[in-house]
Amino acid sequence: MASDPDVDQSSPSPDTVDFRGSRRLVGAEEWFWYVAAAVTYIGLGIWHKWLLNWFIGPAWLIAFIVVGPWVTDRLGMTGRSRSVADTARSDRETPR
Amino acid sequence: MSWAAHQFEIYAVQAHLPQKMKGKVSFWAIFLGDFTPDFLSKFWVYGFTINGTRYGSDVPHQWHRGFPGMGFTHTLFFGVILTLLIWSWRKNRAFTIGYLLGFAAHALTDINDSVGVMLFFPFLMLNFTSETWAYAATVDGGKYLDAAAYYSSLGLVMDLFWLIVVLISWRVLTREHWRTQIVPADARIWAWFGRWLPERGLLALYRATFFYGLCRMISWSAWARFFAEPGTYGEYDVTSRGFPMDLSWTGPSWLDARSLPHVNPWLAYPAALMLLAIVYVVIIRLWEPMGRREAKALAPRSRSRNGTHDGSGVQADA
Repeated sequence: MASDPDVDQSSPSPDTVDFRGSRRLVGAEEWFWYVAAAVTYIGLGIWHKWLLNWFIGPAWLIAFIVVGPWVTDRLGMTGRSRSVADTARSDRETPR
Repeated sequence: MSWAAHQFEIYAVQAHLPQKMKGKVSFWAIFLGDFTPDFLSKFWVYGFTINGTRYGSDVPHQWHRGFPGMGFTHTLFFGVILTLLIWSWRKNRAFTIGYLLGFAAHALTDINDSVGVMLFFPFLMLNFTSETWAYAATVDGGKYLDAAAYYSSLGLVMDLFWLIVVLISWRVLTREHWRTQIVPADARIWAWFGRWLPERGLLALYRATFFYGLCRMISWSAWARFFAEPGTYGEYDVTSRGFPMDLSWTGPSWLDARSLPHVNPWLAYPAALMLLAIVYVVIIRLWEPMGRREAKALAPRSRSRNGTHDGSGVQADA
């Protein structure tokens, strides 16, 4: 997968940002979102069987993993009031 | 039929590719191959109801695994035909081999229920079944009774077996494996998804089938054990809430296992293992010739694009 040339690879660390400038999930935070998606899907699935299908199952996980961290970042719950990509972008645009 | 086993086996196949194919077989092809048999046949097994009228098969197990019926969709013969069509269309080795492996995994796994599959269709119309658990899709019980029976029998053990196989090969679920083994074999597909999803979404997409399999296994099992009301699905001599677990062969005993004319069950595993071995030997033998043929087919396309590689992940060492 080619990296996005628009993303400043020098700041912040490229390990934390993907080719779109979105934040990567690692360690405990990654586990948290996967477990949260699983617990909610299993719990709701027991009572609402129509949720247990090929489309909603994968979509549920992707929604949690993509949207969840984005929302918590926006709400300032993770200490990242702006996304890493925004930081990278503003750093790039700031005259030095 | 098998439930989450079909989701787990995709990763198991991916994790146990022959050494020379690692990182070169399409994950999406394995997925599609595994998905095809039920995609073509299952919609009519449970049926659906519109304005009080039920549309679906009158004899679900005959439709699903028999002939006449759609049982041919669960045969290696049909899988090979589809594989040949795919090969003749795109000359894409990564996708062709992956599709055949996925299809074979599905067809061979389904010998375990009491109906089984026609392993040697069209040369032998008898089903091969080990009768490990009861096939339970019925007109009245539908998907719910089928799930209750499956997750109250050795079917649950089958799902757990495949889950353990994947967990033993846990690296197949890591970001590193996805980045180095999965993406290169399907570069264009992942690039296409990458237009909409960040990397963490792409990784979730790769893991999504495993996630779905695990969640549905737990969810249906919990429902069948603790929350289901058996009386809703027929006259069952069981407790008022929750279907009882029965790990006896061809269980659960509280349900009449469906079946079709079949060979001696002792022949099912040897026949399936023999066919699995044949599939592996064939793909290993065809790997290099297919690579050369693919490279030859790609050459004109590459020239027409000013000599640029089209990014299909073809290896020159083929």
